[in-house]
Amino acid sequence: MTLLKLDHVDAYYGEAQILHDLSITVGRGERVAILGRNGVGKTTVVNACIGIARVRRGTISFGQKTPASIRHFTAARSGIAVVPQGRHIVPGLSVRENLLLGAAVGRKGPWNFDSVCALFPILRERAETPGTAMSGGQQQMLAIGRALMANPDLLVLDEPSEGLAPVIVDELGETLIKLGAGETSILLIEQNFSLVHAVAERYYVMSKGAVVEEGRLEGLTRESLKKHVAV
Amino acid sequence: MIQVINGLVYGSFLYLLAVGLVLIFGLRRVTNFAHGSLFMVGAYIAYAVAAYLGFWGGLVISVMVLAALGVLLDRFVFRPLAREDAVVTLLVTFGLLFVLEDAVRTIWGKDYLTVPPPPLLSGVIPMFGSTFPVYRLFVVAVALAVAAGLALWLRYSKVGLYVRAASVDPVTTGMQGVDTDRLSALVVAIGTGLAGLSGTIAGPLLALSPSMGAFIIIDCFVVVVTGGLSSFTGAFVAALLIGQVHNLGIVYVPELASMLPLAIMTLVLLLRPRGLAGAGR
Repeated sequence: MTLLKLDHVDAYYGEAQILHDLSITVGRGERVAILGRNGVGKTTVVNACIGIARVRRGTISFGQKTPASIRHFTAARSGIAVVPQGRHIVPGLSVRENLLLGAAVGRKGPWNFDSVCALFPILRERAETPGTAMSGGQQQMLAIGRALMANPDLLVLDEPSEGLAPVIVDELGETLIKLGAGETSILLIEQNFSLVHAVAERYYVMSKGAVVEEGRLEGLTRESLKKHVAV
Repeated sequence: MIQVINGLVYGSFLYLLAVGLVLIFGLRRVTNFAHGSLFMVGAYIAYAVAAYLGFWGGLVISVMVLAALGVLLDRFVFRPLAREDAVVTLLVTFGLLFVLEDAVRTIWGKDYLTVPPPPLLSGVIPMFGSTFPVYRLFVVAVALAVAAGLALWLRYSKVGLYVRAASVDPVTTGMQGVDTDRLSALVVAIGTGLAGLSGTIAGPLLALSPSMGAFIIIDCFVVVVTGGLSSFTGAFVAALLIGQVHNLGIVYVPELASMLPLAIMTLVLLLRPRGLAGAGR
């Protein structure tokens, strides 16, 4: 069953058109990756889904609903949680407060402070320190933990491997597989081939704001991807 | 010593206004030049209502009317302006200041009006070998209570957490499902409500005139900038500091008094360009 569906979407920032006639679907419980070079509009796909980029043509539906307009807080309420590029840990808030902020949407489910800390024990250890004082890898755990606090139907991760050491990226992959094994769908925006390979079942490749290739992951090799992505 | 307490009194007004500016700036990135005139409108509303319901009735009504005005301001002025250039915002709120001043001048005239303090607080008490009006101590107590209440609310309540988060990163906060528009309306209402409170309790101390707001807003901006633009603690410390400077200046160097707060601000900004709290941007 389809959870997220972008249907022939044109998306804009102001007058600048970023996405051209883009169609993407993510099924319930499915793990999907979007690959592509810097600047091809991958983040804009996320921003269109949460109402930050304007959709002027086409529709975005989530679950059974196709809202006429999306605000970022309504997207969160309908069950989309984003781990934004660059993590966006809120400065001035402790680790605990950053996590509690994630629960602002008030959706019920298995995730709360304790269960997130069971997944990432470091967050409990450092609960009272400022979130921005942690290392990159720990901040990424915090950003994922914060998104989980919303008990989302769809977890969107925008370049989570950015700035992380390879060993940390491997751990991240294992965590995402664990999360994706349940009901939660994952949309992974990445350039890191091995992370995509470890996590995703299906992929899209984007170029110049449009999908140029899609398929199941078994068919995808580093070589076939090289023409689109710097691996 | 009495002068120090008088400085505290003036600092209390500055704090009640400055903290409203900080709240509004935090969520809407709007420098609300009209804040001083809201203070003035609050004072006049309290004056008008007090004739029927007494001082305390005036206080409640004034705070409520100003808070309601804040919700309207947020919806129809600040929200549309949030995406505009800071200069536009400044000009619009500056224009609003004139509109409100003229409205008050039309209704109540431009003569000075005075409000008696409530009977409960109208006495004097002996202090440091002389006497001191109880009402002034009441003003300081109100400011301290508001400061403590706000600090606790921001630190320990859920909504306070959202306010702190939205003040530094509204987009990320919204992405977590916080309706930042409703939050802004609440926060602006608190800010303007405090302007009403401050105007009301200023009534018995300062003579009411339509220009009283334009006069105090300058010192308020000095407080906000000195304090560090988006810091509540910074605003508190800076309000106390500027209150003292203002008051001691009037007593000891009257010819420099109006310049001193600005001199302090310049000094602070030279030494700490991000203000006392260093949290500005």
